[in-house]
Parts: sequence; structure tokens; C-alpha cells
Amino acid sequence: MSAYHIGEDVEPTARRQNIIALVIVGLALASPFMPTARQQQLAFLLRNSLLRPFVMIQEGMAAASLHAVSTEEFQARLDSAVSALTNQSTLAEENRRLRNLLDLSRRLGTAYLPASVLRAGTAGSESMFQLDVGSDHGIHVNAPVIASGGLIGVVREVRAGMSIGMDWTHPEFWASAMTMDGEIYGHVRVERGSFREGYRLLLDGIPFHDQLEPGMAIVTSGLGGVFPRGITVGTVDQLAAETAGWRRSYWLRPAVFPGSATHVLVAVGTMSERPADLTEVIQDSTSEGAGPIAGPGDRSEGPGS
Amino acid sequence: MSKAFRVSAVVVGLALLHFLLHVGFGLGDVAPDLLTVALLVGVREVDVGWGAGIGFVLGLLEDAFAALAFGASTVAMTIVGVAGARTRDLFVGDSLLFLVSYLFVGKWLRDLVYWISVGEDIRQPFIESMLIGSGLAAAYATLVGVVAIAISGSLWETVR
Repeated sequence: MSAYHIGEDVEPTARRQNIIALVIVGLALASPFMPTARQQQLAFLLRNSLLRPFVMIQEGMAAASLHAVSTEEFQARLDSAVSALTNQSTLAEENRRLRNLLDLSRRLGTAYLPASVLRAGTAGSESMFQLDVGSDHGIHVNAPVIASGGLIGVVREVRAGMSIGMDWTHPEFWASAMTMDGEIYGHVRVERGSFREGYRLLLDGIPFHDQLEPGMAIVTSGLGGVFPRGITVGTVDQLAAETAGWRRSYWLRPAVFPGSATHVLVAVGTMSERPADLTEVIQDSTSEGAGPIAGPGDRSEGPGS
Repeated sequence: MSKAFRVSAVVVGLALLHFLLHVGFGLGDVAPDLLTVALLVGVREVDVGWGAGIGFVLGLLEDAFAALAFGASTVAMTIVGVAGARTRDLFVGDSLLFLVSYLFVGKWLRDLVYWISVGEDIRQPFIESMLIGSGLAAAYATLVGVVAIAISGSLWETVR
């Protein structure tokens, strides 16, 4: 391995080393231009071999932090839930029968699966997160990822037992959005700041003749076929820019800051199997102070449960 | 214990610690870039071909989590590996000043190549990213690198 040699071997050795270095530099320069599928395969291979112990440590720490929530709090929640269930058992039965009658169960057939969010914390992994659910749980590419406050992001890559998602701070994130009453439509994307802490959500494409007031809730519109209608994205903060006679854009206060989300819900099933409108579900759950959608709680149930 | 073994142990140890802090504990930027420090320490002891190889492998490992810009770390680490190995032919100093300069410039160069490689859509403004963010990160990595080298006695004689 030494670079220092004595005698006439020096030149050939140096030349060989230079050639090896050139070949490796060439491979490195080619790596960003590999097909995305190949890049994902290679990354998956490394994550599940050499780097697997570190991922497992983070999974363990995430689980430990979840278990660290005080038992008193869980007990109080359990008592409340039991009380509510006892009082509503007849309503639930009636609701089930009515749903069967109206065929709502098929429309809302997809379940939202609870998942833990893992973040690598290495260079280039910003705006991306790993979920501990994957194709064997019925997760598909473009599945919406939701936290208790609202929209987090979308799944980009799915493997057995895990998936990779991007949150709304990703430059490629884009969602069609509207006001809660469905009157005004636009689209939401991230506006990048000088530092990552300065990234903000921007609601763009609002017609010039429409004006939004600070505090108005913005939800997904369901257009575009990725996000169902009605997931909270954020609230209007202030006017960002206006093009006279053409359009306005507004800064949004995000419903969820991605870094704060450790446990999320991920849509199960394909786009056609998912419910198209979650407005009522979201509003109901918000008014009850609970999460947006009740997950099945059991990952073995899979899609269509 | 031979010097080669000691250096190898430090390189592997720093790389493991890097992934433990960044991936295992999810500390992100709070933890220093020990992977670059490991590379810079290691390539001072090897030929340029080996330097490129070590940089390539370490960069690829880092890129395993980088769906945002796959390959950018591989390019950056490989080039830094080559440049670090080349410094043996250019600088033979073993002073603390040289060590600090070497680690600082090496880390800053890694961030510069990375910044160029990730592409216009993803990278942040040059002033904020390279002059402020990377400057601080390089100082942090240098400090930790000097301490690691001093403790392990893996590289420069005068640092111990």
C-alpha cells in the first residue's frame, strides 16, 4: 500500500496507481447518472447489509422513545377510550350497517397504517425519511404520509418491510390544494430559504381576484391523483407575492413540521383503492382532538381492511 | 502496535462512530463529519489508487441514505481521497498547524465538491452553504479530528 518505493519499480507502480485512481474517479463521476432504479437497488443493498446495524439502532431508539411516554397518560387515554366505546357501541353497530348499505366501506376501504419515521442524518438525506412499513404491508409508491396535524409527504420507494418517503421540504414536492370550502384552488410547493430552517410552504397559483385571509385552512384538493381530498396542509400566513391581474401566492404555516414527526400514518393500497375524499374524516378527527384517521393498529391486516 | 494497524483502526473506528451518531442516533448536523476525518487520516498513509478506492467506498456508504442526490457524496469523497493521498507528495509536514490546515481544507473541499455535484435544484446559496455552513462544519470536524488523532496517535508524531 505504501507510496514510497525504491528502485526501478517506482514508475510502473505510480502509473498503475494513477490508472486505478482515474478508473475509480470515473466510476464515482458516473454514479449520479446511473438509472434511478439502479441507484435505489444499490442504496437498498447497502442499507440492508453493512449499514443495517445502524438502522436497527435508530429503530430501537424510536421504539424506546415511544415506550417512554408515561404510563399514566396511556392509562388516562385508555380510560377515556373505554368510556367512549362503551357509550357508542350501539352507534358503531348502526354506523357499520349503514355503511354496508351505502357501500361506503368499499369507498373507504383503504386503511392508513401506523409507521415509525427514521431519518438518516447523513449528507444528502435531508427531506427524505425511512418508514418501517413496506410492500409486504400493502404500501405502494405515491402513498400519502400523514401525521396527526396533517400532510407530511409521500412515499417514493417501496421495498419489503420498509419504504422511503419525501416530506414537503423536498424540492420535488408538489400538491394541489384548496381552501377548506373548496372555493379557491392552487398548488403547494416548498420555497427554499438560505438555510434549511428557512424553508417555507408556498401556496401558488391563486387567481388574482381571490383573496385569502390569514389563518384560513388549506387542504389537499384531490387533483393530481396522489393525495386524497381534504388532508390539512397548513394555514395561510401572509401574502407572498402578486402578479397584477394574474395571480397571487401566499406563505403557509405548515400543519406539520417534518422534523417533529416520529410516527405517521401511511396509506395502504393503490391510488384507485384509496378514498378520494378525507375531508369529513379529517374534520371529524380534528374536532375530536384525535389524529386525522384511525389506523387499523394491526399491520397484518393489509390493504382493504 | 504497528502504525499501519493503528491508522486502519482509527479509520474504521471513526467511520463506525460516524454512522452510529448520524444514522443510529439520528443526530444529523449536531454530530461532526467523522467520515471525512476518517478518509483524510487514512489516505495520508496510502497511494493515490487506494485513496480513491477508500473515498469511493465511504462515499457510497453515505449515499445509501441520499435519495436526494445519489452519487454526490461518492464523487466528493473520491476526489478528496485522491487529493489527500496526493498531499504526501506535496507536503511532508507533521506540525499541528499542518494537521489543522489539512483537515479543515479537506473537509471544506469535500463540501465544495458535494455542493457542485448535487445540482442546482437542491443546493443552497453558496455564501450561506459554503462560507458559513461548511466553514463551521470544517472547524468542527477539524477540532474533533485533531482530538481523535492526538488520542490515538495514529498519524502525526508532533501532535501526540
